[in-house]
Amino acid sequence: MKRVSVAIVEPSPIILEGVSAVVSHSPALRVVCTAASVSELVPLVRTADVDVVIAAVGLARDIEGATELQAVPIVGMQSAIVEPNALRRFVAVATLYTAEEELHRIICDAADTPTEHNYADSHELSERERDVLILVAKGLTNKEIASELNISPHTVISHRKNIVHKTGIRSVAGLTVYAVLNKLIDSDKL
Amino acid sequence: MTKANRTTCSVMLSPAMKIYELIDAAPMLLSLFSRLNIRLPFGDISVEEMCQRDGYNTSLFLMLCAMHIDLRHRPDAEELTEDMLPEVIAYLRASHRYYAEQMLPHTALHLEEILSHCDDLSARVLRRFYDDYSRYITTHFEEEEREIFTIIDSHSECDTNFALFDMPHTDIDDRSNDIASLIIKSLPESAPTPLRCAMLKHVYALRDDLRRHSNIETHLLRPLVEKRLKRK
Repeated sequence: MKRVSVAIVEPSPIILEGVSAVVSHSPALRVVCTAASVSELVPLVRTADVDVVIAAVGLARDIEGATELQAVPIVGMQSAIVEPNALRRFVAVATLYTAEEELHRIICDAADTPTEHNYADSHELSERERDVLILVAKGLTNKEIASELNISPHTVISHRKNIVHKTGIRSVAGLTVYAVLNKLIDSDKL
Repeated sequence: MTKANRTTCSVMLSPAMKIYELIDAAPMLLSLFSRLNIRLPFGDISVEEMCQRDGYNTSLFLMLCAMHIDLRHRPDAEELTEDMLPEVIAYLRASHRYYAEQMLPHTALHLEEILSHCDDLSARVLRRFYDDYSRYITTHFEEEEREIFTIIDSHSECDTNFALFDMPHTDIDDRSNDIASLIIKSLPESAPTPLRCAMLKHVYALRDDLRRHSNIETHLLRPLVEKRLKRK
């Protein structure tokens, strides 16, 4: 079985050394290059056949600007607090306390993850997402919403993920309150 | 060092620490003292002396402190002894009371202050959402006490179904986050910012404390019960 080639970008030499050692403990993974910054990493990724990049989450902005990394799944290594929006560039996020086996699993899963991003940058709900939210608030199931809006249940699920991401609200009860406070549904629908 | 306790290095406490040093290092532990009904003042006594005075297991007390300070902290399996079970159950029951009698009502008072500045409809839906959230938590606690704690207390040999409670823990966390999101993003502007901030402080304190509580059930109570079941 082909081993997953991993590149690591981390400004802290101690963390870089540690993550590199932990990744190398897995026979399924191999570290092909390491760098202290994204600008240092980019030429290395061009020449090496990299399947997954592990990057310090604090480098999220630099990563956004690196078009060469767009096709590579990137796992964030969290050693600092960063705004949740910045974490969207990462297919998964590990921490310095993630267990070794768990980190290996995250990297292998990331290697199989498509790198396209479904979330729009705006936090404003699209018209379709508003339609779905209103029906969720009214208590309809995904199947019922799909039938009502003439879309597939899979598309409903995708809209719901975007709604949760944009509103920050997960429960149906919370989404109902959101819909009322934002005047998307009338009180008599409650 | 075993794999299990690699994560414990973030908190190092010792029985010889003075109580003042412990609280000074982590003032958030005051709520733990409060729910364990430990009396103030402590004078200059150590953790061990205080535990002896009040009849607590010192190792267990330090485990609870460490798990309060750091959510990632896991007790060392070798340090867990079956005689800790009654004290852990007593602590969890006290915590349930603390949430039901103090944290939830206090947060509700803050919410009411905010709602007095909102229109009737917003006030009505938010009040209902919080009441449902509050009821969901207290009902979950009652179920835990009935379905888990009573079985453990009775030394019954039947398997304790902890998995039954995993979903409510996630649900409670989601709902706590939902309240915070609604207050930050969707309250009418008529709700004054200082009141929103005070409410949010309570909501986040409650959410974090509930996470610690759930962590203690999963990583302290559960291994202790499993240890007892293995022996049987």
